[in-house]
Amino acid sequence: MPSRLWRFLVCLGLAAGLVAGAAVVAPRFVLHDRAEARIAGQGQKRKEGQGRRKDQQPAPKTAPATPAEPPGPPRPVAVPEPPKSPLDSLPPEKVEADVSTRSIAVTSGFTGTEIIVFGSVDNSRQPSAESGYYDVAVVVEGTPEPLVARKKSNVGGLWINTAAASFDSVPSYYAVTSTRPIEEVADASILEDNAIGLDNVRLRPSAATSGSLSAAELTDYESAVVRLKKEDELYLRDDYGVAFIGRSLFRSSIELPAHVPVGPLTASVYLFRDGALLSKFSTRVRLEREGVELLLYRFSVRQPFLYGLFAVVVAVGAGLLGSMSFRRLSQ
Amino acid sequence: MALALGPKLGPDIRANDLSVPDRDMHIYLPIAEMSANVLLFLGMGWAVGFLSGLFGVGGGFLMTPLLIFSGIPAAVAVGTGAAQIVAASVSGAIAQYRRNNVDVKMGLVLLLGGIFGSVIGVQIVKILRKAGQFDLVLALGYVTFLGVIGALMLIESLSTIQKVRGGIAVSARRPGQHSWIHGLPLKMRFHRSKLYISAVPPLMIGAFVGFLAAIMGAGGGFIMVPAMIYLLRVPTNVVVGTSLFQIVFVTAVTTVLHATENRGVDVVLALLLIISGVVGAQFGATAGSKLKGEQLRFLLAALVLLVCFRVAWDIVVTPDDLYSIQPPFGGR
Repeated sequence: MPSRLWRFLVCLGLAAGLVAGAAVVAPRFVLHDRAEARIAGQGQKRKEGQGRRKDQQPAPKTAPATPAEPPGPPRPVAVPEPPKSPLDSLPPEKVEADVSTRSIAVTSGFTGTEIIVFGSVDNSRQPSAESGYYDVAVVVEGTPEPLVARKKSNVGGLWINTAAASFDSVPSYYAVTSTRPIEEVADASILEDNAIGLDNVRLRPSAATSGSLSAAELTDYESAVVRLKKEDELYLRDDYGVAFIGRSLFRSSIELPAHVPVGPLTASVYLFRDGALLSKFSTRVRLEREGVELLLYRFSVRQPFLYGLFAVVVAVGAGLLGSMSFRRLSQ
Repeated sequence: MALALGPKLGPDIRANDLSVPDRDMHIYLPIAEMSANVLLFLGMGWAVGFLSGLFGVGGGFLMTPLLIFSGIPAAVAVGTGAAQIVAASVSGAIAQYRRNNVDVKMGLVLLLGGIFGSVIGVQIVKILRKAGQFDLVLALGYVTFLGVIGALMLIESLSTIQKVRGGIAVSARRPGQHSWIHGLPLKMRFHRSKLYISAVPPLMIGAFVGFLAAIMGAGGGFIMVPAMIYLLRVPTNVVVGTSLFQIVFVTAVTTVLHATENRGVDVVLALLLIISGVVGAQFGATAGSKLKGEQLRFLLAALVLLVCFRVAWDIVVTPDDLYSIQPPFGGR
């Protein structure tokens, strides 16, 4: 009896030994520069992809690597109304904003979080917080990522994917919140130009898709992407989520669910008056893995083969340990 | 890899429901990129582990659908499921080995074929995923194999149970029965199984099971066990241990392949499933030794048919949403 058990264990031990040997021979797996470069390269590709998009927003998206960038000069888009009162002799309004948490750590305890986007209107002409003089829209957008949308149809009684559209870039996460429903705040064209609202999320179809599909088909796919992302709680909209606290100070809270894709987020704040975009401001939120989560994720990305062997060793070890301790207990 | 269990369970939708009620019992899964309820996955691991020990199946054909059902992305469900089966089968295999229920020689022959089949299967999965048809092929595969095997086992075990009740002696070994299998070359003697047969059928069965393991994300025990019983005529008591022995190694290879090809192995999730699975497997092996072979086969057949109907339901019933979204192949 014991000899048979030994032979079996030797079999397993041999496999485990091979694995351990491989891990010892290649100790570089912990922090590997080449893989680091590969990850950086992926980030670079993403950035370039963004750069190619039309209607590019100015400062923040082009320089995601610099964490503490100087706040880009906000552009007043529409000229304020002609002066009528002493207040109107003030210079044009500017909006400035920040986020409660600039860096969010995704650790083993991460169950989603809430960020507060707050800001103020410089040279506010608003008499009080309740006056509704200004409208503010806050958009928090995740890293763009490629996506494939598929459509099923019934073939001989079975539901089969028969058509597809591929997108080069779709925001992994998108939340829009405003002082009142965004459609009432400004014209569709202004919202579209600035990608404000779930109807205006920037989805960039791949060249092959936009070449082969009709405009109507593409629209169907685009609305399906937004609908499914909404169902997954990754695209959010809150019509009355921004509140003024004083003449110039406002705040809004944005929910980041537990499955929010990890990567930098952009928070943009838009200031409107009577349907005209007066000013906008963007800032970034870092959403990063930390601790054991980061180590395991890096390991799995940089050394997938060794990570796979590691997983097998963990599995075999846990399995053997469990069975041995269970036998001890039952004896 | 994705298992098509309908639009709600598809790879595109990660259910958030599980992360809401009690946040203290949650842990963030670094590869699946989601927060998971610890108790839910511990319970799931125990239940599948129990069945693994009871029937001598890896449990992957249950684990993969269950994981996807709980919101784990399909690629991670398949890869992590494989790692969990390694652990659950190691303890189960040792439990069987101690009872002298493993034909090591037979296991090695099956394994050789299994690795060959697994490598081919992974390549076919790649092609199907690119075409967006993998979910469907997976579902059809599950329905076909689970349906046929479940029905065959059900009929056989029921008739055996009736014969036993009627007082007719039934022997697991049927000496004197010769089939085409005995005419093949490369004959080998498998002492533990009391067989002298060609190595070709076990090699082919192993390759077929390895191929299905790679495509379906299951250890393949649900095919291996009946194939060994009905095609090779291996005694039932040796079948369970030998298939577990082979499953350990084939799923180990599959785990490494999934980690490399799909980045689909979440060690944190695997550990949750393993810890509970190991305990469950011990209970299962103990319970299994108290049941008769035909009763075991009847229960396994019922389980197999249940999963078969569940999968079939989802590809036949009109989905809630005709559209689905997925990351493109190879990217996450």
